[in-house]
Amino acid sequence: MSLAWLARRLLLMGYTLIVVSMLVFAITQILPADAAQSLLGENATPEMLAALRARLGLDAPAWQQYLHWAGRVFSGDFGISMRTSQPVGPDMLTALSRSLLLAVSSILVTLLVAVPLGVVAALRHGRLTDAGVSLIAYLGVSLPEFVTATLLALLLADTLHWLPATGYVSLLEDFGDGIRHLALPVLTISMILIAHVMRMMRSETLDVLKSDYIRAARLKGLPERTVLFRHALRNAMLPVVTIIALDVGYLLGGIIVIEEIFAIPGIGRALMVAITTRDLPSIQAGALIMAATYAITNTLADMAYALLDRRIRYD
Amino acid sequence: MTPALAIKNYTLDYLTAAGPVRVLHDISLEIAPGEVLGLVGESGSGKSSLAWALMRHLPDNAREIAGSLHLGDTDLQRLGPRELTKIRGRRLGMVFQDPSTALNPTLSIGRQVTETLIQHRGLSQREANALAIDLLGHVELRDPAAIMRRYPHEISGGEKQRVIIATAFGCRPDVILFDEPTTALDVITGARILKLFARLREETGVAALYISHDLALVTRVADRVAVLKHGRLVEQAPAADIFRAPRHADTQALVQAVPRPEHRLVHDKSGDDVLLAASDIEVHYGRAKLFGHAPPPATRRVGLDVRAGEILGLVGESGSGKSSVARALTGLARFSGTVRFDNRVITGARDMNAAYRRDVQIIFQHPDASLNPRHKVGEILSRPLKLYGGNAAEIPRLLEQVRLPASYAGRWPHQLSGGEKQRVAIARAFAARPKIVICDEITAPLDVSVQAQIIELLLALRAATGTAFLFITHDLNLIRQIAHRIAVMRGGEMVDLLAIEDFDTDHVHPYTSELMAASPVPVG
Repeated sequence: MSLAWLARRLLLMGYTLIVVSMLVFAITQILPADAAQSLLGENATPEMLAALRARLGLDAPAWQQYLHWAGRVFSGDFGISMRTSQPVGPDMLTALSRSLLLAVSSILVTLLVAVPLGVVAALRHGRLTDAGVSLIAYLGVSLPEFVTATLLALLLADTLHWLPATGYVSLLEDFGDGIRHLALPVLTISMILIAHVMRMMRSETLDVLKSDYIRAARLKGLPERTVLFRHALRNAMLPVVTIIALDVGYLLGGIIVIEEIFAIPGIGRALMVAITTRDLPSIQAGALIMAATYAITNTLADMAYALLDRRIRYD
Repeated sequence: MTPALAIKNYTLDYLTAAGPVRVLHDISLEIAPGEVLGLVGESGSGKSSLAWALMRHLPDNAREIAGSLHLGDTDLQRLGPRELTKIRGRRLGMVFQDPSTALNPTLSIGRQVTETLIQHRGLSQREANALAIDLLGHVELRDPAAIMRRYPHEISGGEKQRVIIATAFGCRPDVILFDEPTTALDVITGARILKLFARLREETGVAALYISHDLALVTRVADRVAVLKHGRLVEQAPAADIFRAPRHADTQALVQAVPRPEHRLVHDKSGDDVLLAASDIEVHYGRAKLFGHAPPPATRRVGLDVRAGEILGLVGESGSGKSSVARALTGLARFSGTVRFDNRVITGARDMNAAYRRDVQIIFQHPDASLNPRHKVGEILSRPLKLYGGNAAEIPRLLEQVRLPASYAGRWPHQLSGGEKQRVAIARAFAARPKIVICDEITAPLDVSVQAQIIELLLALRAATGTAFLFITHDLNLIRQIAHRIAVMRGGEMVDLLAIEDFDTDHVHPYTSELMAASPVPVG
């Protein structure tokens, strides 16, 4: 891809992040008539309020507060947690790494299952295989994730005792046990994503197979295998990249439910705890990190798209 | 000697919900080695079905009833999928109608040329690359090595067709099928492709089946011509004879329908009053963005005036800006410059009041896209009538005016043929009783014989209503039959604006004479 195109994408991403940081800051610190009061609640003494205002810098004008805050945030300092009195940044990043592990594994499993299934369904269009694959996909997407999660846990953990029902073990500490703990949540998330991706893959493959250039490739005398893998798949994959990037948005929000059910200390849970305990720096850090993750994923998806389809580069 | 390609008593049906429909009746054709056979017919005559049958790429509902298809000694109908890949591209090549869709958008040109060479000639990637560069150079592409690295969207339509031709010739097949290879290209590019075809044919001695709806064109490239009508072979004759002495009535009709400039269809003069005057029209698509400048205007200071009752022709290649002018005059595109109409000065779409929009109507190239598929014909026609103070009772009269039965008001657009759809679009334009009708390539998607009927209809409507036309086309021979004046555009600029009497090689711009050379007048 051309450097100018890349620079433009990165610039746009930076711009997005700055706007998001302004929004996060405005919503958490400026908009509440008195952030100190709303943080401390009804029973706060005037001394406590004054101390907190001074600590948050609430006396300065809004733009000064923002610049001061943003300067620290963009150098990696999110402040001290009001709950644990520890720096917020490292904690949040650890939580994010666990969520990312969950998200990335789910997407990998999804791709590995959904892409071949979608292609097979398209190739067997209108036959029993197609109908069967579609039925299973619909089943996956029509159940809410907490139902899927419960059913899977009942079956695989409670009845068959194959997998632990809840908890998180770091892959670095114990790889095998880590994987076993990851399996149920990943399975639950994949059930939903597979349905999206498979259906997209199926309809795109069908469209591509009907196109003139596929006919041309066949009439050039290329074997069916080459036609499928070299000519059709690449084009059919393109919209899937976009779907995956959009699903990351769903994952970041929906992952809270999964993390709650399976007791995984990820970013979703961390943000929940921060909100319920009114831990302002943690809320800001959590929201910003989620937004940044989303922006980065979408930029990565755009880059992948540009690698697959050369027409994008000059747009 | 064994013919290169032999079709014997071939009969083909398509199964439909209403029962089998016969698309090819007892066709027998032979092509000798090195011979070019032209196959001419209107759309729906079955000529494409014959090509698909030869390529063994028939739709699932096709049923081969009788007959045989032989490529040399090979019985094409007996080939299994594996043997077929050794015939297609290797011994039987094909060049497609629309080069812009026949190339895979996500693979480089080099990849798409070399893959057949590797497949059929067993070359290594390196050998195939060298040969491909050679082949691309041979089809007169400049800097073939650079073309190899490009992607289809980075080269022009003419270049794409050259790439496809190079690929088809690359494996030295016995026979190549050409399926309307110049229809999707503009005149000058098409003429160059024909020249290339003639040269390659001379050099390689390949036999070819050249399919087209354009009889005049086929007689220039083929040795013999076969005429197909409703799935039946009506005439086969040497190319030199078929135009001069068509024997069959259907062939005569095809010959008649070919536009000839010396055969004027309009004999009156236009009025002197200027109806619409446009000056300094520049059409802008897109605006300056956060990153990047606005694209240059699609037309550069174009000026033209349409007189009362006049037919003004506007000619140019695709991308010359002629449709942009139409879009500006109807307020569909943002433009700068002024339009004077009915003592009013118009500088943008918001100045175009109801009266202007009623008086200036447009008919688009593709009726499929301009007729709402969810509206019946009657509803389509009632819209302009309601808007401009007409009455739904006029619908039968409107349909009759365009020579469609009044019962068509109850039909859906998809139940009509291409020509009938275009008639509905014409009726819709005339429902507003306009003073000017802009026709934007309205006959381009139609067969020559249907085109002739549409032109005749437009001239009859003009005689009845006195409407003026701005007739946009790339067909110089056609416009020379009907226009009072002709404007020629190239690259967004107007290079010529001449009265028809002055439209000859002495007066026209060099570009216009190039256009004239690219669309030769049929002989005979």
